[in-house]
Amino acid sequence: MVALRRNKNSEKTMKRGASQWAVAWRRFKKHKSGLFGLGMVIVLLAIAALHTVIAPYPARPAPDSFKPLYEGEAAQPPSWKHPFGTSVMGTDVYSEVIHGSVYTVYVAVTVTLITMLIAVSVGIVSGYLGSYVDDVLMRITEIFLVFPSLLFILVFARLYQLRNPEPFWNIFGINVPAGLTMVIVILSIFSWASYARVIRGEVLRMKETEYIQAAKSLGASSRWIMLRHVLPNTLSQIIVLGTLTMAVAVLLEAAVSFLGFGDPNTITWGRLMEEGLQDLSTVWWVEMFPGLAVFLTVLAFNLVGDGLSDALNPRLRE
Amino acid sequence: MGLGKYIARRAIYMVPLIIGISIVAFLVMYAAGDPIQLATAGNPSITEAQRNALREYYGLNDPIPMQYVRWLDHFVHADFGKSLYGGRPVNEIISTLFWETIKLQLVSILLAFLISLPAGIYSALKQRSATDYTISSIAIFGISVPVFWLGIVLILVFSFQLGWLPSAGAHGAPYLWPVFGIRNETLDELVHLVLPATVLTLAGLAYNVRLLRAGMLDVLRQDYIMAARASGISERKILYKYALKNAITPLITLLGISIGYMIAGAPITETVFSWPGLGRAYVAATLRLDFPLIMGITMIITIMILVANLITDMAYAWIDPRISIE
Repeated sequence: MVALRRNKNSEKTMKRGASQWAVAWRRFKKHKSGLFGLGMVIVLLAIAALHTVIAPYPARPAPDSFKPLYEGEAAQPPSWKHPFGTSVMGTDVYSEVIHGSVYTVYVAVTVTLITMLIAVSVGIVSGYLGSYVDDVLMRITEIFLVFPSLLFILVFARLYQLRNPEPFWNIFGINVPAGLTMVIVILSIFSWASYARVIRGEVLRMKETEYIQAAKSLGASSRWIMLRHVLPNTLSQIIVLGTLTMAVAVLLEAAVSFLGFGDPNTITWGRLMEEGLQDLSTVWWVEMFPGLAVFLTVLAFNLVGDGLSDALNPRLRE
Repeated sequence: MGLGKYIARRAIYMVPLIIGISIVAFLVMYAAGDPIQLATAGNPSITEAQRNALREYYGLNDPIPMQYVRWLDHFVHADFGKSLYGGRPVNEIISTLFWETIKLQLVSILLAFLISLPAGIYSALKQRSATDYTISSIAIFGISVPVFWLGIVLILVFSFQLGWLPSAGAHGAPYLWPVFGIRNETLDELVHLVLPATVLTLAGLAYNVRLLRAGMLDVLRQDYIMAARASGISERKILYKYALKNAITPLITLLGISIGYMIAGAPITETVFSWPGLGRAYVAATLRLDFPLIMGITMIITIMILVANLITDMAYAWIDPRISIE
C-alpha cells in the first residue's frame, strides 16, 4: 500500500526545471493549516508594523496611555470602547496588546537568528570536521543540554534586572530595550544545543554522499565545502528548526516575564500577565487577552513549522 | 562492559559537570547582587555597620573562591547551609517541598505517557481519519498554549466561576475542601491536585502524541514492515511486536528527560497555582537572592537530570539491543 501510494506521487510529473524551493512552495500551498498559520503570522507582522496607528491609546509611559483612568474607566470589563477591557491602573488592554506585538516579533526574530547562528556553526563544523573538533564541540553541547536552563535563565535575567544600567540603547535612532535584549541573549544561549545536534546528524549523513566526496577529491577546501555545499543543503532543516525556535522563544519569553524576571521597562505580553495576576479574581480580562495573543502567535509559528516540515522533507510526508 | 562498571564510569564523568555547573551558578549569583542590600533596602533605620555585621555573619565578606570552597565542602557532606531568610536549614526546606513537587509532576508525567500511547498509535494507524485530525489538532494546540495562561483560564472557570475546585495550594488544611460534601484529608489533597495536574498533563501529552505519531508513521513506512506484511504476519503482531518497539524509543527518551527536568520546569505551574513546591521556592529565592537556597535547588535539579539521563540511556539499550552501552 505504502509503496503504491508513493509511486502515485505527483512530484515526478512536475515541470522540469522548477527549483527545489518552487516545489516546496507548491507543496506548502496544499497544506491548509500551514497556510492559515502563515496568514496569522502576516497579520501579526502587520499589527506590529502599524501598532502606533491601530492602537487607540499610546504605549506606556506616555501620559495618554492612562487616559481611561482620568475618564473614570479603570478596571472596566470588555466593551466597544475598550475591546479587551481596562486594567486596574487604568490602561487600555487592547492598546497594550497591540504595542506588545512589536516586542514579540523582536523576540521571535532575534532569538531565532542567534540560536540558529550558533547551532548551525557548531553543527556543521562539528559534523564535517569530525575528530577532536567534534569531540570538543559535542562535549560543550552536552553540557548545555544538561543545564537546567529555565533556572539559569531566571538567575541571569535577575542579574540583569538588578544591575539595570540603562533602560534603552539608541541604535540607529531606534530605542532598543536593553533588558529585553539581554533576556533574548540569555534565551538563545540556552536553546541552541539540541538544534546543533540535529544539524550535526544531518551533516554526518551528508558527508558520505558522492557530491561531497567529489568536491573533496577535486581539491575543494573544507571551508568552501562547508559554506558552498553543506550549508545550502541543511537550509531546509534550518528553516524548519528556525520556525519552531520562534514558537519556543515567544513562549519562553512570556514565561520569564510572567514570573517577574522580564525587562521592567518593556510592556510585553508576559509582563501584562504578571501585572494582572494579583487582580485575577476581579479583572480577568487583563490576563485573558495577552495570554490569548501569546497562544495564537505560538500556534501560528507551530502551524507554519508543521507545514514547512511537510513541504521541505517529502520523505516524512506519506 | 559490565553494567556496574558502566554506571561507575558515567558517575565519574558527572563529577566535573556538577562542579562546573555549581561554579557557573555561584558566579552568576554573586554577580547578580548583594542579598543583604536587597533585603534591607526598604529599611531606612539600618546602618551600614549593621549591614556589614550581617554580611560577616553569613560569610558574605570572604573572597568568592573561599566562599565557594566552603560551600563545596558542605555540599560534599550533603549540607546546603542555611537560608538567608529565616535561617532554616536548606536541606529541611528542600525535603519538605520536594515531595509536593514530585507528587504533582509524577502524576502528570505518568498520565501524559499513558494517554499518549493509545492516542499516538491510533492517530498514526488511521492517518488522515477524522480521529487523527482531532488528535493532531489537539496536540498542536497543546504544544502552543502557554502553560501559565491555560492554568489561569482553568482557575477562572473551575474555581472562580463554578467554584468546583480550589485555585491555589496543595492542601486546604485546616479548612478541608468538601468533595461531594465529604471533608477528608486525602480527598482534599486530591482535589487540590486536579487543576495543576490537568495543565501539566495536557502540555506533556501534546509533545508525547506528536512524537509517537511521527515515530509510528516513520516506522510503518520501513521496508521490514512491508516484508512482514508480505509474509502474512498478522497486523496486530506487526504493530505491537515490530512497529511499536521502534517507535517508542524516542518516547522513552522523552519520558526520561521529562522526569529529569520535572523540577526544572516546575516554577511556572507552581507560581500560577501557588503550589508549595521547589519551583515556586526557586522563583522566590532568585527574586530575593537567597544564595544557599538557590544553590541547593540548582544542585538537586542538576543531579536529577544527570541521573535521569543515565537511566534513560540504560532503558534505551534494554529496549533496542542495537544500541549498546558501549
